[in-house]
Amino acid sequence: MTTASPATTQTGAAARAVDASKVYGTGEAAVRALDHISVEFAQNKFTAIMGPSGSGKSTLLHCLAGLDDVTDGQVFLGDVEISASSEKQLTLIRRDNIGFVFQSYNLIPTLNALENITLPMALAGRKPDAAWLDHVIDIVSLRDRLSHRPAQLSGGQQQRVAVARALVSKPHVIFADEPTGNLDSRAGAEILTFMRQAVDDLGQTIVMVTHDPIAAGYADRVVFLTDGHIIDEMLDPTADSVLDRMKRIGD
Amino acid sequence: MGRVTLKNLFSKKFRLVLTSLAVVLGVAFMSGTFVLTDTLGSVFDNLFATTTKGVDAVVRGKEPFKAQGRGADSTRPPVPDSLVAVVRRTPGVANAQGNLLRYALIEDRNGQAIQNQAPTFGVAWYPAQTAVNRSLELVPDYKGARSVQPAPTDEVALDFTTATDGGYHIGDRVHIAFATTPPRVFRLSGVFKFGGSDQGLAGATLAAFAPTTAQQVMNAPSQPGTWDQIDVRAASGLSESGVRDRLTATLGTGKFGPYEAITGTKLAQEQSNNIKNNLSFFNTFLLIFALVALFVGAFIIYNTFSITVAQRARELGLLRALGASGRQVVGSVALEAFFIGLLSSVLGLGLGILLVKPLEGLLSAFGISLPTGPIQIQARTIIVALVAGTLVTFVSAVAPARRAARIPPIAALQDQAAAPNSGRRRYAWGGAFTILGIAILAYGLYASGSNAAITVGVAAALVFIGVAMLSPLVARPVARVLTLPAERSHRITGVLAQQNAMRNPRRTASTAAALMIGLALVSLISIFGASAKASFSDAIDNQTRADFILSPKTFQPFSSATAQAVRSGFAAISRRPATVVEFRNGSAEVGGQAVSISGLSPDFQKVVAVPAEHFNQRRFAANGVLIWKSVVGQHLCGADQHTACRNGSTVVVRFPEGPPQTVPVVGVFTDRKALPSPDDYIFPLTGWEQRYPQTLDSFVVVLKPSDVSTAQAQHVVDTVASQFGGIKAQNKAQYKDSQVAQFNQILGLMYVLLAFAVFIALIGIVNTLALSIYERTREIGLLRAVGMTRVQLRRMIRGEAVIVAVFGSLLGLVIGVGFGAAIVQALQDQGIGLSIPVGQLALFVILAGLAGLLAGWLPARRAARLDVLGAINAE
Repeated sequence: MTTASPATTQTGAAARAVDASKVYGTGEAAVRALDHISVEFAQNKFTAIMGPSGSGKSTLLHCLAGLDDVTDGQVFLGDVEISASSEKQLTLIRRDNIGFVFQSYNLIPTLNALENITLPMALAGRKPDAAWLDHVIDIVSLRDRLSHRPAQLSGGQQQRVAVARALVSKPHVIFADEPTGNLDSRAGAEILTFMRQAVDDLGQTIVMVTHDPIAAGYADRVVFLTDGHIIDEMLDPTADSVLDRMKRIGD
Repeated sequence: MGRVTLKNLFSKKFRLVLTSLAVVLGVAFMSGTFVLTDTLGSVFDNLFATTTKGVDAVVRGKEPFKAQGRGADSTRPPVPDSLVAVVRRTPGVANAQGNLLRYALIEDRNGQAIQNQAPTFGVAWYPAQTAVNRSLELVPDYKGARSVQPAPTDEVALDFTTATDGGYHIGDRVHIAFATTPPRVFRLSGVFKFGGSDQGLAGATLAAFAPTTAQQVMNAPSQPGTWDQIDVRAASGLSESGVRDRLTATLGTGKFGPYEAITGTKLAQEQSNNIKNNLSFFNTFLLIFALVALFVGAFIIYNTFSITVAQRARELGLLRALGASGRQVVGSVALEAFFIGLLSSVLGLGLGILLVKPLEGLLSAFGISLPTGPIQIQARTIIVALVAGTLVTFVSAVAPARRAARIPPIAALQDQAAAPNSGRRRYAWGGAFTILGIAILAYGLYASGSNAAITVGVAAALVFIGVAMLSPLVARPVARVLTLPAERSHRITGVLAQQNAMRNPRRTASTAAALMIGLALVSLISIFGASAKASFSDAIDNQTRADFILSPKTFQPFSSATAQAVRSGFAAISRRPATVVEFRNGSAEVGGQAVSISGLSPDFQKVVAVPAEHFNQRRFAANGVLIWKSVVGQHLCGADQHTACRNGSTVVVRFPEGPPQTVPVVGVFTDRKALPSPDDYIFPLTGWEQRYPQTLDSFVVVLKPSDVSTAQAQHVVDTVASQFGGIKAQNKAQYKDSQVAQFNQILGLMYVLLAFAVFIALIGIVNTLALSIYERTREIGLLRAVGMTRVQLRRMIRGEAVIVAVFGSLLGLVIGVGFGAAIVQALQDQGIGLSIPVGQLALFVILAGLAGLLAGWLPARRAARLDVLGAINAE
């Protein structure tokens, strides 16, 4: 039930899209969410994807993560072509090689924090590496909350559980979709710090969609999307520089 | 508001179909039962209207008391030949003819009895020109030969269907067996149709003889020259009631004996009603299963509405926020229930009518063949079906609807579905219902004699509702135990299935409750059946000595000449006598009460162990009665019929024939397990002919003489059985097996009928799961996103279904075993001891689990097909 880990490519990209397009609907009603996009996400980096509503940023993330398929072009996770994988293969790739953090409704309400964290391993029928699990739990400082159910946790704590779940299986890439969207600024900062730490200390690769310049400020690189096109990117961003750039998109 | 309701109703088609189906099936079962029994009733109405064709009035013996026991023979004394002349002389009578309607079993050309689970009758034939009764019409030409009326002494005419079934031609020799005279061979003189049609006899066979011949072969030897009734034709211009009144004037004096006159129309009604009464148990039997199906349906309606009200809390809260009153919200939900109920009832009624033929087929597959006629759909059927279906749906939805009214407007703004409120009141009510149900059960079984069935039914319904209300309390631990294996092996799908099933214990519990009812009844029947079979086998094995047992093939008692033939058969090959014990059933008025009684050969103790205190065979044979132990002390003995009964007292008994007699009590029997019918009084067969107009045996038990080999003895009884037809001669083991097989057949039929209710319960599981999955769409999307495969997802949902199913079946098992044990305990006097078929009960639980697996299949497929991204983003 496990798939071969996608080997790192010569280019060093953990995930990439090659001339990828995504069209919803047909004929007159067709909407082009992604328009011949080619982009690479480097390993061991924290990349933010930004853009206004309807820019296609979430669609790009979903296609990269194998939750949605591209209409045209190719998507790769390491060397594995996501766009050529079957539904069953995609499920296993998601389980073994991808971590997810969503905006909300991120946890299974019937499982406690620890069970939620180890869910992908349990689905694979694997035992988590105990030392690593311990380490992850400490990073997100959840040790005293492990037996709590999601309903007994605050929004920030729930999202920390989600981050821990994404980290614990040492995935090739973690995809985060507006991970701080439902959190207050303090809890949001906490989560972003954990993610930053995961990249710096643990060598994780993270791709995050956000519309919040402060969140993007934690990233190594920001990719800007509008109308399904990549219009710009920025290295070593700060909240201010991102905000500046965003303001100019509207012009 | 109404528009909102209807839009809501039809927007969820899958749910609508499943919810309706629960009601549709119950209503269909019920209306199918009504149509079936009405159809059957009309067949008999027509049959007896034809039987009395041309008959304006009938003179017959007065019934001294009502016959007891199902299908018991009439207790009317026969009328003598001499009365025919008296009736003829009565003013207003144009013609009068005596007639008989008695046992006459016809064999086909191969020596097999022609019998279709209906009576086999012999009658007297009168020439067409003069016959009062015109129901029989000669077919002039049969298979190319001229068909004529039967001549005296050795000719017979048969009804068309029987003649054809028997493969007979005019002139063939026909072998016919009678109740009290030896079988005889007749020449087939002709063939007739009954009421001009070749159907309409409802399976009965008819042999017609010349009047004097009819009396010779069908009168009891002790009562030669008698008739069952005198058919009367009124003088022209005189009405049926006119001639009856004149006859009553003549007979009413009692000068000629205890005779009465009634109109032909009345007679037809009476006869038809008699048959219909005998069949009414059948209607009740089927209706019980239909009601069970409806009851199960009610649980599903309740559950579906509870779930949808909870799921629609936001929407209903929005309606409240926009200004709808609580009453309007209730009205909206109730209206939805009303429409579903009405729609389902209409569909159910239609399906029920279509179901009649398959139902008949099912019954005949289980050995119950019924005569058929044009389908009768009465207004009563339509009204009852529509009202019952709509009402059940409506009432089941009332509680959820009232809950909807309590949804506050703020619910519109809250994310969470309305959490169920505290269960304390629910558990209090559940406990009260359960205790009340058990109390009523105890009362019904041990205190009240009559209506025990209804009391037990009410008790069961209360316990079902009570336990369903209480069951959330145990749902969690039971599910925990059930999934222990999964938990041990860290199977995440199993753990998730368990968690899901326990997420809302009330929902799980009421879904399981529907299955609980079916399983409770299945295990009840299983326990009852196993107990009865075990007791019967024990009685045969340990309390019966028999080399051979002669019994009827189709429940119709057979001629006592059979026993005589067995005796002479053995006498021909051995100097030692064989023991031949006859068992008869009859009615008598004992101490002023009409009861069913058993008649036994005086030496019955040689074959059946019936422990009796003070029993003295000689005094019993001379003229005595054995009484059942619980009759002792009852105040119905002595000449005044008010003295306490005991051994040595006397009891005043009235038999169909003759004046009341004073019979001494010559013993008290304390165990009747070995007796085929559990009657309170046993009379000797000596003098039976003076007491009863017919002498038909129910069973004959044979012990061969010691110097005759088994093979020789087998030959003797086989010869007799084939000579008389309609009976089978079996050794003890064969007899036991065949009786158990018959019993199993009835049990099988009950299981099949209950399968209906179980099927409806499974629909409930499908429905609940589908709704739960709808509710958890986002969660399922998440599971899929983090790597749950479709296979795992399906396994998880099927696991949930299995947990619910097994939980329900375990609850049902507990109730069924409890009720079964209680009922069997109460029936101990009838000779039934408790026996619990553990293996079979375990099998039921396993089957229920498999059924749950099946029920989870469709929702699991639907869930696995969900688009991952769409599911995550679902609201």
